[in-house]
Amino acid sequence: MSRKFLETESPTWVEKGIITAEQQERLLGLYPPDEKAIGLLPLLGSLLVGLSALSLVAANWQGLPETLRLGILLSSLAGSYAAGEHFLRRGNYSLGIGLVGLGLILFGSAIILVSQMYQLIGYDVTGLVAWAVAATGLTYLYRSRALFLMTVVISCIVQGYNTGQLGAFSYATAAFTALSLGYYWWRNPDSLIGTVLSVGLLWQAGLLVSFLHIKITWFFVGAMLIYTLGDWQTDRPAGRSMQGPPIAAAFLFMLGLAIFGEAGSYTDMLRPPLLAYLAALGAVFALSLVAKRKRGRLGGATDWLLLLPGFYLPGGLPLAIAALIVLYAYTGTLLWRAHQEQNPDRVTLGTVLFILTTAVAYFKLTWGFMDKSLFFLLGGILLLGLSWYLQRRAAQTLASESTDKPAR
Amino acid sequence: MATPLPQNHRRWVLLLVAAQMLFILAVAAAGYATTAYGRVVTLRTLPVDPRDLLYGDYVRLNYTISQLPIALWQETTLPRRRQAVYVVLRPAGEAYEAVRVYLQEPTELPPDQIVLRGWIEDRYRRSLHIRYNLERYYVPEGKGKELERKGRQHIMLVRVSIAPWGQARITETQVLP
Repeated sequence: MSRKFLETESPTWVEKGIITAEQQERLLGLYPPDEKAIGLLPLLGSLLVGLSALSLVAANWQGLPETLRLGILLSSLAGSYAAGEHFLRRGNYSLGIGLVGLGLILFGSAIILVSQMYQLIGYDVTGLVAWAVAATGLTYLYRSRALFLMTVVISCIVQGYNTGQLGAFSYATAAFTALSLGYYWWRNPDSLIGTVLSVGLLWQAGLLVSFLHIKITWFFVGAMLIYTLGDWQTDRPAGRSMQGPPIAAAFLFMLGLAIFGEAGSYTDMLRPPLLAYLAALGAVFALSLVAKRKRGRLGGATDWLLLLPGFYLPGGLPLAIAALIVLYAYTGTLLWRAHQEQNPDRVTLGTVLFILTTAVAYFKLTWGFMDKSLFFLLGGILLLGLSWYLQRRAAQTLASESTDKPAR
Repeated sequence: MATPLPQNHRRWVLLLVAAQMLFILAVAAAGYATTAYGRVVTLRTLPVDPRDLLYGDYVRLNYTISQLPIALWQETTLPRRRQAVYVVLRPAGEAYEAVRVYLQEPTELPPDQIVLRGWIEDRYRRSLHIRYNLERYYVPEGKGKELERKGRQHIMLVRVSIAPWGQARITETQVLP
């Protein structure tokens, strides 16, 4: 409870005789006013001094002798790590980690600035990989979520630069990121870092697919491998957070196929050799099923309905319809499971996705055949009816959930 | 999240920070080593429009070896954008010119030839546009204004050191009258 809330509400409580004025005083005494705002002033002051020093150096950077430039880079690097360590020891956690993060950013910029200073050309990503490795080391040393996030972003930048500028893919960087950060997430299960790591790994998988010039649907073999990691995680929230991004990617892809699949112009980018693709995806599916069985969550296997390879149907209407069937299979089972589990968040999510799918299906299947105003009228009625029905189901579920609770 | 830090935490922090500082020093050392052990190759730039010349603190350069006829391509597969390539150079007058382009580094070369690494930027019907990452020349103190003053269209000779291990850097530039 915040002091502000107490200050505004407690006079009414005294008035209504719920608490006495003395009790009000004692309650307020429990929440002393925040002293933090005063501590901000010196911080802002030193920030301004730091900025002025930075602009002075930046303005004269080219004019400074090389050794001096090197010295400035090295000492500011060491300085910010030392300051970070100092504040951590004094118990000021966020400021300390912030300064360690600054040191990490300085390390990356120093690598770039020094190679620029000597006109050195980067032929491989060794320099930037060193940055990612240092970031991982710091994450383990300080056990900090903020540093974990920075490490994921840095390894994404390194791989993006590698494929974009150097025309290569660093398998070592990808494996190092997946193993070191994956192990960290495995031992320190957490929802936020799970989601971030999942997105970072999806990015690496996407870059690999574009680098190898293979069919884009191979991406989902990698994505579902990431999803399967979430199945093996014993901590449920951390596992689900790892699975969110791959499922979202698969859903959006199918939705895109349903909307634009008819064009058919890019359908040749979709179809890898059938047997190889199904074998690879099937192997991942088996791994996922084993894990789901082990953790007693076999119901979650319906997520895999999104991966039904409807894109092997010929382009045009059949492809769009196949994509819609896949979407309906997924959202339908999602809703059904949500009602069974009586999970209100899931019910909302399932409802939204189901209505979205219906809107796309209706638009897709009737636009060509119907008079436009009739189209809008019927579409509106269909969606209104559907949302009314789903809302009712949701309300029923929640009502039965509250009556199910043991009466006290 | 105030988890207690491990016992020998301070030693590990020191080690990690020292490693980072050493790495930066190693990058600087690589710069000096490339000049010390590298073979110097002179490249000729194409005329540069002085209005485009100075971008903040660097000069944008376009070399004669940036645009190569497709006939120099030695591979059976078609060149693809963003592929890394090895360009073989040979002295021709005051500057070096390209003679062949490979996907893999060629092992046997005549003594007067040398390999420079690059990337395919674009592929046209009759030519390849190659990027060497030598296109940005970071101007040392005060030189930018001097380059700018030369005005009109002019050609530059750029000396590049290529180390035996493949690393390259610009060591000197000279504006032709």
